[in-house]
Amino acid sequence: MPRRRLRTVVCAVVGWLLPAKGGLAQASATVDVALSVVEYDGFQPSAAGAVTPALTWERPRVAIGLRGTYLRFESGNRSIQGLATGSWFTAPGRAWRGEISAQTGASSYATFSGFWHALAEARLHRPRERHGFWIAGAAGRTSFGALSQPAATLTVAGWLRRGALTAVASANRATLGDTAYSDLEATVRTARGALALEAVVGARVWSRGGGRGVYGEGSVTCTLGGHTALVVSGGRYPTDPLRGSIAGRYLSAALRMRARPERRPTNVPRPMPTGVGANGSSASAPRIDVRPSDGGVRLIVDVSGARSVDVAGDFTDWLPVALRPTADRWEGTFSVSSGTHRIAVRVDGGPWIAPAGVRHAPDDYGGAVGILVVPSP
Amino acid sequence: MILVALLAVAQATAPDPRLERLDPAARPPVVQLVDSARAMGLPTESLVQRALEGAAKGAPAASIVAAVRRLAADLGRARDALGPDAVPAELDAGAAALRAGAPPAALTTLRRVRRGSLIVPLAVLADLVGSGVPADSAAAAVLALAPSIRDVELMEFRRAVERDIALGAPPATAVRVNATARTARPGRP
Repeated sequence: MPRRRLRTVVCAVVGWLLPAKGGLAQASATVDVALSVVEYDGFQPSAAGAVTPALTWERPRVAIGLRGTYLRFESGNRSIQGLATGSWFTAPGRAWRGEISAQTGASSYATFSGFWHALAEARLHRPRERHGFWIAGAAGRTSFGALSQPAATLTVAGWLRRGALTAVASANRATLGDTAYSDLEATVRTARGALALEAVVGARVWSRGGGRGVYGEGSVTCTLGGHTALVVSGGRYPTDPLRGSIAGRYLSAALRMRARPERRPTNVPRPMPTGVGANGSSASAPRIDVRPSDGGVRLIVDVSGARSVDVAGDFTDWLPVALRPTADRWEGTFSVSSGTHRIAVRVDGGPWIAPAGVRHAPDDYGGAVGILVVPSP
Repeated sequence: MILVALLAVAQATAPDPRLERLDPAARPPVVQLVDSARAMGLPTESLVQRALEGAAKGAPAASIVAAVRRLAADLGRARDALGPDAVPAELDAGAAALRAGAPPAALTTLRRVRRGSLIVPLAVLADLVGSGVPADSAAAAVLALAPSIRDVELMEFRRAVERDIALGAPPATAVRVNATARTARPGRP
């Protein structure tokens, strides 16, 4: 290809990848510098140092990732690994959502033959607001030295999200030539403040040539500042015939450096520090239901066993207004103009709490406030 | 006539009587902030309400003053993004969206592409960005819908968009288990 035309093509690709002013792409880059102790099955433990640069680039329906790892063991041997992934999503907003992805990777250790793999995967998601599942099938090839063989996987997974906690359970069946195995796995992730925690437990069963047993890993990520984090991880992982790694144990501590600060959600619902339920316990916030009413809105708070329930917000000049009891609920009708409004409830004269059932936002006073949106007529 | 005019001016500049509920340490700086905002042509009702909220929650005077000051700055930024014709309710919603992390350019574009009130689109944008959805992804979704969708439909769609964007969002905020997840631990061979 003539040099000028090649340059034009490269510039066009780079221009599409890089986020233009006001564009919709996001790129993030990290570099991890780690010290580890690694013990492969059947080998002596060894200390190792690792450097892992990673780059991700995302648009609303496309994601691309690049990752490399350079590992140097105390013996002086080196391991080099690289991985490239790409995903394309169908349009959001429907009950089902499709994903087509591809990944390719390669690794080498010391003077041994290199390993590479290439897989294409189709995934069908069924996402709901707080839970969902997907099924996926992948096919491709793996190669160790001159030996190349076909590979295929089938995965079924379900996920659940409650506040900052996410749990995933999956079942995966993989076949590579004469090797076949199934992994049953559960993952839990959560984040609180500067800490992010992840734990994985799994079991390899129905295996032919892929090993058997139970495995588990965990990691703690502590954000130290806008651009750095400390990551401590360890555990036992199984043999991965698809990507050419053998089973082992490890313990690692790494410094992660980010090119741009990581964003954390600002409106994860949390009650005010002394939130107390109607029965005196630290119960979750009472749920509020908002319904249109002539000239305003009708607020219905669902709480049982209360002696009084008050509402306050900008539509009451933050003066408490008592709701009237009806069976197990408390109701009131308010004249509320169109727009966004801030609201809180209190039970039995207790502290003001952002009610469940509406979006929460930080209230600038160390707690949360409910956000009520009334559309224009 | 002059007396009537003077009386009108006096009433317009008199401190809001609701601010009498504030702690004496908070009242003068809050009154000054409200007056400054009024002089700059910013809506003052939301500033008064933020102060009253702090008083209702027993917040210390310094926190109330800081909250009002921060909101006044946010309202100014919202007006810069939405333009001088934005109504107070739009400025409130825009301030919330900017505070959540929405880019000002998204607000400016929203003003350009959508006729009518921007209250609900701005509230949806604030909701998505505040939930940890990448700002550009949230803005793209709202801007794609804004020209043609009604407020009620947009509010119904918010839940679907939030979960779908979250599914494709970075791992920090969404469920995203893919082939790279297992090998994403530093120092792990």
